[in-house]
Amino acid sequence: MTRCPACLGSFPEGDLSALAEHLVDRASESDSAHVRWLNQNVTRQKCEASELLPALEQLFAIGRGGLPGWIKGRFIAKFYGKAPHPFVVALQHPSRATLLGYVVEHQHFLRQWVRSCSFIMARTDERKVVLYELDNLNTEFGGLGPDRVAHYELLLRMGESLGVDRARVLSLEPLPATRRGIEGWNRIASEEPWVAALAAMHGLELIANRDLVNEGASMRYFDPEILEGSEITHEAKAFLREGYEADVAHSGEALDLVAEFARGRATIESVQSTFLRSIDLFDDYLMARLERGAQFEA
Amino acid sequence: MKRNFAGCAICDSTWGNVWEEVEGERMFFCCRLCATQFRTLIERIERETGWTTVEAVEISGDRRGRECVARSGSGSIRVVFSFTPEGELLRFVSHAVA
Ligand SMILES: [Zn+2]
Ligand SMILES: [Zn+2]
Repeated sequence: MTRCPACLGSFPEGDLSALAEHLVDRASESDSAHVRWLNQNVTRQKCEASELLPALEQLFAIGRGGLPGWIKGRFIAKFYGKAPHPFVVALQHPSRATLLGYVVEHQHFLRQWVRSCSFIMARTDERKVVLYELDNLNTEFGGLGPDRVAHYELLLRMGESLGVDRARVLSLEPLPATRRGIEGWNRIASEEPWVAALAAMHGLELIANRDLVNEGASMRYFDPEILEGSEITHEAKAFLREGYEADVAHSGEALDLVAEFARGRATIESVQSTFLRSIDLFDDYLMARLERGAQFEA
Repeated sequence: MKRNFAGCAICDSTWGNVWEEVEGERMFFCCRLCATQFRTLIERIERETGWTTVEAVEISGDRRGRECVARSGSGSIRVVFSFTPEGELLRFVSHAVA
């Protein structure tokens, strides 16, 4: 089915002109979500649905890189284009405040991550996908013994190394954008086709994928030099290094699974719009990390 | 108020249809969020400078970070600013313009 990337409303399969009309209608009512989506993804110039259609066709067109290539392309455009996301810019050489904003908001993100991946496992019949998610959940949350501590634990240790103990981190409620993200991802993972949820969640791991620079990204998640020297704490290095090494494999493997199991036009359309919705939620969520970080500025 | 955008006063979009009075002038915005942001920006600039009105603004950048040069009489100020997704000021750094 054709889906609206701003509200996930449904339209007949392949009917981008119905989507164009819906976007123009909602925008004429000044609906922030739809205006924002048009502004950021298509054009700031108001136009008729018929004029919008070719731009939508172009945006959703899948090229030689297949669905994984399309997903990477949209992700790079949003986070690693000419004006990279300000959180990524701040993380190049992060301040204590930036890292603490990361710790506090990401704790909530990772708790939702477990729920989302569990929904995917519960809703798929594919053994490969279940095994992938099990491995992912251990890396992110469960841990595999003292030598392979979970990403979640490394995150809390990073916070402690910066002087904020875990009881305090765990006691803080998420900021509104983080909460909206959590609610949105929960809905996607529990209601959208599981393969769309797979793309929506694991596509986000592209953020730390250092190979994106080979595909046009303007920078990496952070300057790898900070893993050397004493610019950040040992625990911050351990946390960042883990993601740096793990997420390359994770996101690549997940996108291969998406390509394998997104069969038929209706499913592919759902994958695309759900992914676009997910990266908008993620965009705001990354702003929330900065907003939280500002609270820790001296 | 002199503005550099023909569309929405803060993001230049021509989608949407929100009209709000700012400083006694009816202005076009693409959505409520932009209207709130613009109002907040102008109020903050006036608080910072002590100006009673802002006569001109020139805005650049995108939603995640913008710059504004504002003028009033012979005074001018350059501001780097961004908003939270809820429309509250996240960052506001001002510099005098030489
Ligand atoms: Zn919609
Ligand atoms: Zn606007």
